[in-house]
Amino acid sequence: MPQSTLPSASDSKVPEGSKKTRTIISEDPCWTLSLLPRLSDLCLQSIANNFEEHPLFEQLSSSQRDFLQQRLSPSLPLHVTANLIGDGVYWKRRCQQLWGLCDVSHYGHSWKRMFFERSLENMIELFIPDVSDPGNLLDMVHHCRDFVKRLRVSQLLTPVMDPQRVEEEEVASDNEYEGPSMDHFDFSILLQKLSRLEELHVVYRVKECGMNFEWKMFEMTDRDCESLATALESCKTLKVLRLHQSHVDDKKCRLLVKHLLDHPSLRQLDFSHNLISDKGARAVAKLLSRSSLQELDMCDNHIRDHGAKAIAHALSNNSTLLSLNLRLNRVRDEGGQALGEALLRNCTLRHLHLGGNEVGRRTAAALSEALRQNNVLRSINLSCNSLGEDGGRALQEAMCHNTSLTECDLRLTQVDEDIVSSITQLVWANQSSEPRQDQEKSGARREVDEMRDEAQEFTG
Amino acid sequence: MEEVIDVPGAPPEPAVVSQTLGNEQRASQNPIDNTVATESEPQKQNVQEQEKISAQRITNLHRHLTALVTNIQTAADARESMRRKDLEEAREMRLKLLENDMKSSQEKFAEITKGWSLAKDYVHAEELQIALDDQQRLLTILLQEKKSLINHLQEELKVGDDRFVKDLRKQTEERDLMLERMEDQIRTLTLAYREELLQTQAVNRQETDDLLTRDMSEWDQHIKTLGDTELDRLTERRKTVAEHEAKIHSLIFHTLDKQTAAKIEQNTKLQVMEREHQKILASNIIIRLKQIKERHELDILMNNRVESLPTEKKKSITTTHSTQPSKKSQHLSKEYKQSVQHYERLQKTIKQITLADTRTFEDMWLTVDAEVKQLVEKALDIDSLICKQHYGIAWQRPQLPVRGVHSDKHFHRSGHLQFSGLSQTNPASHRSRGMKTETDTESTDVEVCKDRSVVQSDGQAELEEEENMFSMEMLTKVMEPLWEEIGFLMEEDVKLLHCLDKDAQTAMKLGSLLSSLGIKEEDLPELVHFLLKYRQHQEEQTEDVCSETGESHDQAASQGTSSTSDLIQPHKVLPALKSFLQQYNKSSQQQSSARHTEAWSSSEDKAYWESLGNIISEDKVKLWEETEKRLKQYNSVLTEISELITETDSLKQQNAELRMLLQQSLNPQVA
Repeated sequence: MPQSTLPSASDSKVPEGSKKTRTIISEDPCWTLSLLPRLSDLCLQSIANNFEEHPLFEQLSSSQRDFLQQRLSPSLPLHVTANLIGDGVYWKRRCQQLWGLCDVSHYGHSWKRMFFERSLENMIELFIPDVSDPGNLLDMVHHCRDFVKRLRVSQLLTPVMDPQRVEEEEVASDNEYEGPSMDHFDFSILLQKLSRLEELHVVYRVKECGMNFEWKMFEMTDRDCESLATALESCKTLKVLRLHQSHVDDKKCRLLVKHLLDHPSLRQLDFSHNLISDKGARAVAKLLSRSSLQELDMCDNHIRDHGAKAIAHALSNNSTLLSLNLRLNRVRDEGGQALGEALLRNCTLRHLHLGGNEVGRRTAAALSEALRQNNVLRSINLSCNSLGEDGGRALQEAMCHNTSLTECDLRLTQVDEDIVSSITQLVWANQSSEPRQDQEKSGARREVDEMRDEAQEFTG
Repeated sequence: MEEVIDVPGAPPEPAVVSQTLGNEQRASQNPIDNTVATESEPQKQNVQEQEKISAQRITNLHRHLTALVTNIQTAADARESMRRKDLEEAREMRLKLLENDMKSSQEKFAEITKGWSLAKDYVHAEELQIALDDQQRLLTILLQEKKSLINHLQEELKVGDDRFVKDLRKQTEERDLMLERMEDQIRTLTLAYREELLQTQAVNRQETDDLLTRDMSEWDQHIKTLGDTELDRLTERRKTVAEHEAKIHSLIFHTLDKQTAAKIEQNTKLQVMEREHQKILASNIIIRLKQIKERHELDILMNNRVESLPTEKKKSITTTHSTQPSKKSQHLSKEYKQSVQHYERLQKTIKQITLADTRTFEDMWLTVDAEVKQLVEKALDIDSLICKQHYGIAWQRPQLPVRGVHSDKHFHRSGHLQFSGLSQTNPASHRSRGMKTETDTESTDVEVCKDRSVVQSDGQAELEEEENMFSMEMLTKVMEPLWEEIGFLMEEDVKLLHCLDKDAQTAMKLGSLLSSLGIKEEDLPELVHFLLKYRQHQEEQTEDVCSETGESHDQAASQGTSSTSDLIQPHKVLPALKSFLQQYNKSSQQQSSARHTEAWSSSEDKAYWESLGNIISEDKVKLWEETEKRLKQYNSVLTEISELITETDSLKQQNAELRMLLQQSLNPQVA
């Protein structure tokens, strides 16, 4: 500092402010040329700042794109960014800004897909019928139609009831007013536009309802069912449908199945934790015989022996279904027997769950008969049934001839412990024989490799 | 498992569940123990087995832990199904109850309606009253029944609510338990995986270490072999380099030898050619000199003629024309002088060269001879020693060869020296041109032969006797007029001569004369003879011309005409001398060359040397070899003997010591 060398008399005269203004850049010891930003960086920064007015991305090189991905503002409107900026750091930043912790591996390691799916889910879950503007949602759909593959809707809000209107309704119940235009979010406006949707998980319920509990919050109305059924029919790319804990009864089930009968791509259907009984089961059996379903989950419903017989009949002619789950139904011995007989003819089913179905000795006999011949079935679950000693013995005998079964759940089935343990031993033997075959293959390959190496050494 | 026990109508499950759970836990503990056991085992097991075991362990763990969790699920399922069963039963009971109730109440209602229809028939108020009461009673009963039913249902509802709440609570508890177990499972699984990881890492590390060490050793070996091969190649290359170097050296030497040989040859050729060239030059000069001489003679004749002509013409014509020829003659005389000087110089140099050659030759000869003789002497000594000492034969000294040429040389030299001695006695001889240098160069030899120069007259006499030519008196007589004639040549010396005696005077005179004429001493008798002959010859001839020519001879001749002698006419001395000189020059040249060749080419030398070399004959040489062999044998025997002597000495000493010991041992025994 030049001031420090000056005499103290002049120093005292100089005010503090002027001292600071007199400092020169060259005297700054920390200053180096590397502190200067490069012109290209400045240009890119200005591009990032004015991206909304002049979006420039395609023309840039990959390194410049990376730079922009780092610098672009996450608050840019989607109509600018959605189709222009590819999957990358920018979308990661947006996701982390919105939700903090994110596991991208559930979204095919695509941050962009994650962003759009989660934002769309959020919009659907927070959609209030007749209050929210469907235009926003449609805008959003317009931007994200190419990136959304899966929708996991974990709640659907019911329309808000004004106290006035409630009173009005009570006073003049047969007025021209016909209540809200929809009971829940209408998927028909959405699904036909999402051209890449493959999975749809819907639950008709409200999370954290608190003291506003009403039963209708937790059930799908007929109107919802109709709109959903038409929407599903319009969505041709759908592969997985999951509609659970939504009070789906026989009528709604039949309506849904009716619209899904000729669906071209549906592979997986989950109606678990609903109120479907024999009629609905019969409809599902029809679906089984018409479409090429691979997985069917009907657990925790009210299917009885008739429904089970219908499903068994469909199963005996089916050649696509791999997994059938009938847990916690009331199939009983008649249904179980029918299923066992169906397994004699079926040669594709791999997993069967009959837990908690009140099946008994006869079902066990029929299944053991099937197990003797069937070499496709991998796992069978008969837990929480009263199979009894005879049933267990029959199964044990059948297991001696079976080599494919790798899982057999016989817990809480009143079967003798020794039999259970022997059956599990057999199952484990099958289990270990499976990978052993693989191991043998790999071992053989390793031997071949070693021989090749030796040959190379000799020739070398 | 208390929750499970609480559930009514589900007694078998808890025990089973607990049992199974216990089994699972035990089973889940066992594999861990097994793995611990495997861990403790040495890691000699190969990785495959390790992997297999670990995979099995992990699957076991998975199985047991999932079973642990799913147990709860199945238990819950079982309970749920039980609950449903209960609910159904309760519903059925309720329905039955309601049906029964409905039936009874319908009966009652029918009774009541019947009562009402009967009541219409009644007319009396009392009857009516009674009927009304009945009806009322029945109605109240009905109502009561209904109420009780409602109460019952309400109670049931309440119980059901309670149970629902209880179920919910139980479910939450179970869920918590399940969560806990799941967490436990996760924890144990992570632990197990960690262990597994560590183990596999250790195994892999060991394997990699093994591989690394093996590879390193292999690498070292390879490097070593490579280094060895490189070293071998290097040594081979070095060898080849050395061979090539040696070859190159030999080639260089070879070419160098060739070159030097060629050079030497060329040098010798060059020398020969130079010699020839010199010879040619010398002959040319001689020819030119002859020509000059002839011209000179012609000139002399012409001059004489010219001189005689003016004397003749003087009388008749006045002399005016003599200037031109005199000029010419002066010029010619000058030329002549120069050429003569040149010639003399040449001769001098030739003589010097020849003398030097001869001298070096003689020196060489002498030294070599002396050395050879010494060697011969030594050989003879050895021979004599061998003969006398080893064979006892009388030794005869073999005849040493004598060199004849050597004596000749000696003679020549002695003559020479005598002459030079003569010349030295006359230090005032300024005119001695040819011999002066010779005397100087041979001054060393002069010292050796001084004695002879003192008694020169005797030597001269001897010399003359050997020659058998003329007597001393005759010589002196002949030489006197010659001396008289040319005495004027050394007018200054004459005065010095007067103080000497007559003999000395004559010798001095003779020496000076000879030196001035360039005649060697040994040719003196020849000169005398020639002079004598010449006189007889000249007596018949008329006195010709004796004119003065370039040098002192001419002057001498011109003045010498007046001198007289009884042996030879003084005026005839000069021409005689001249002719003699002519003859002498030729002969001396021939003689000198002949003498040299004689000295060189004589085959006697060869014989002499060979005889010297063969002084020890072949037989003798054989004898010597034999003696050498014998002597060596003898020497070896002697050395053996000397060694044996030391041994014997030591043995003797030992013997003496032993004897001493024996005596000592004997003495005490005796004592």
